[in-house]
Amino acid sequence: MTRENIELGNVTPHNIKQLKRLNSVVFPVSYNDKFYKDVLEAGELAKLAYYNDIVVGAVCCRIDVTENFRRLYIMTLGCLYPYRRLGIGTIMVQHVLNYVEQDGNFDSVFLHVQVNNEVAINFYKKFGFEIVETKEHYYKRIEPADAYVLQKTLRKSGQVNGTIE
Amino acid sequence: MPSSNPLPPKENALFKRILKCYEHKLYKNGLKFAKQILTNPKFSEHGETLAMKGLTLNCLGRKEEAYEYVRRGLRNDLKSHVCWHVYGLLQRSDKKYDEAIKCYRNALKWEKDNLQILRDLSLLQIQMRDLEGYRDTRYQLLMLRPTQRVSWIGYAMSFHLLEDYKNALSILATFLDQPQQPSNFDYEHSELLLYQNMVIQESGDLKGALKHLETAQDQIVDKLTLKENLGELNLKLKQFDKAAEYYEQLIQRNPENTMYYKKLIEAKQLQTSEEIVEFYLQYSEKFPRANPPRRLPLNYATGDKFRNLVDKYMRRALTKGVPPLFVDLRGLYGDKNKVEVIEELQLKYVDALKKWSKFSESEVNNGPKEPVSALLWVYYYLAQHYDYLKQTEKALSYIDAAIEHTPTLIELFIAKGRIYKHAGDPMEACSWLDEAQALDTADRYVNSKCAKYMLRADRVRDAEASCAKFTRDGVPAMENLNEMQCMWFQTECALAFQRLGKYGEALKKCHEVDRHFSEIIEDQFDFHTYCTRKMTLRSYVGLLRLEDVLRGHPFYFKAARCAIEVYLKLFDDPLKDESAEQELNTG
Repeated sequence: MTRENIELGNVTPHNIKQLKRLNSVVFPVSYNDKFYKDVLEAGELAKLAYYNDIVVGAVCCRIDVTENFRRLYIMTLGCLYPYRRLGIGTIMVQHVLNYVEQDGNFDSVFLHVQVNNEVAINFYKKFGFEIVETKEHYYKRIEPADAYVLQKTLRKSGQVNGTIE
Repeated sequence: MPSSNPLPPKENALFKRILKCYEHKLYKNGLKFAKQILTNPKFSEHGETLAMKGLTLNCLGRKEEAYEYVRRGLRNDLKSHVCWHVYGLLQRSDKKYDEAIKCYRNALKWEKDNLQILRDLSLLQIQMRDLEGYRDTRYQLLMLRPTQRVSWIGYAMSFHLLEDYKNALSILATFLDQPQQPSNFDYEHSELLLYQNMVIQESGDLKGALKHLETAQDQIVDKLTLKENLGELNLKLKQFDKAAEYYEQLIQRNPENTMYYKKLIEAKQLQTSEEIVEFYLQYSEKFPRANPPRRLPLNYATGDKFRNLVDKYMRRALTKGVPPLFVDLRGLYGDKNKVEVIEELQLKYVDALKKWSKFSESEVNNGPKEPVSALLWVYYYLAQHYDYLKQTEKALSYIDAAIEHTPTLIELFIAKGRIYKHAGDPMEACSWLDEAQALDTADRYVNSKCAKYMLRADRVRDAEASCAKFTRDGVPAMENLNEMQCMWFQTECALAFQRLGKYGEALKKCHEVDRHFSEIIEDQFDFHTYCTRKMTLRSYVGLLRLEDVLRGHPFYFKAARCAIEVYLKLFDDPLKDESAEQELNTG
């Protein structure tokens, strides 16, 4: 008998309250209604993680296009405290990386992380993310307020226009 | 068409067309033909035509006119079986069955061998449980149509229902002795044999029943029923070895059926609880995936044996995450010692899981760790355990620990609501169910639970709005719930209205429930012909017996009690009639 079964499932109008509850417990930041409205439209970019049929984690992303860069932004990726270090985060990151790979048209994947969150930084480094920038006073109501931008580059930048820098 | 007032050929042809139109539900056309006859001054008072016109109008929903025409027709031709039959059909459609039976009898006075009328009469008789009358009618039908299978079955069954087994069996035997068409040796024939066996068993002749079943086995295709009956009969006749053999086979077929194990224990004549526990353990090895051989010994084991078995049983469920574990074990809570053992074990699990992710310290160095969810399920169990023992504070502390651990699990909020309900706070209970429901709005079970808790908290409107998520669009939820005979809702709703002092609304709900029961009894009608034709006679007899005690159902009892209380209250303490008061004042 396998003791642990981890699966990803869709976010729907029916279960979105579970996502809200999860995020409110996992993250020190609270997200507004617009965030959840967008999540419902996000398809594969928003997923719930089930551990033995219980919702214990979630990942929400959006596509970000600025200055000719098409990038995937991981808005939230988190897991309930007792269920950490069981590979649930890895499955969610892997899902995101598979998505961008299959799409084939992303320059990079990036996210923000509080500068003191070493666990998260080390976690993302395992998947090839690097610190590319520090944003001061990124967070409004939490300390430390500075954030790193972690990024995994998928191809040399600027290829959208065919010009190589 | 013999009548005291026959029509000439042309009009008679028109009349036949009215009958045709009625059969084919072409009511408008039927009325046209009736008009053609009745506009002729010579036949404007022709009884049978007037009656048929009335019957046709009834089908178009014009009931008052229908009665007028049918009665006028009958008055004009009291010796016509058509007029009486039509009057009977009209009364029947109006559910006045006793009146309808009288009409059919009158019709038969003038045409005693009319098959259609006899059939209609027999249906009403069985529906009304006029069993003697039914038997006599079935006899006439058999005499008129001795070659039809249904005639024999109906006649035999009438004796069976009258508990005259001797005659029932001799009719069945005579019928089965006749040369059968080979196509009959199929499911229907098999069902007939099983029905025959049922009658033999009910007559008390168990030996005869066993012999009959053994001889007929090859022709019976429903092997499950066959084996269950063979097992049961051997057991009752104290032929234990044979009975055991059949129950072994049945367990092989379906190791999840708890009854088979109990019967096998009876057949093996196991007496002491040690023997019984040992028996179950053997079978749990033989069928490692089956639940009964692991669950049932817990009822018999005591002392260390019980501790050992229940420990294993609970661990397996907690590892896997079986939400109804407590409900499953609640049956053991009559035994104080068992409750203590369970509590002690569960409390130990909490400590061990927190420290080592294991159920006990002794396993720290072997085997894989328990899943993280195991601790959650232990908290959940303990919350329900203490709730059952009416230790509300402890129950709440464990359910809160569970919610702290995994705040996304819906079951926890339901359990929390239930704890408040048991503690006598329906409002707080309801708010937790509302929370549970919000977490998965596609879950109908949780939605219904939530609605029920709302009703208990007298929030009728909210409950209706909640149910509306699962009722048909475009119809008010109350209406649709009534249409679907949703009686858990309607009874709880009646009680809520009663508490709120809205007596009219409460009575309305009670009467809706009563109407459902009348409808269910009414629905029998379809089965009288269908079941005899399809030969599902055992189920049919089961249905008749169920309908006889239908109003013993808890839903009916609830509604009836509520209605009685409300009526008594209104009698003792009548509502002030505002209009009457006004009249007094102005008078």
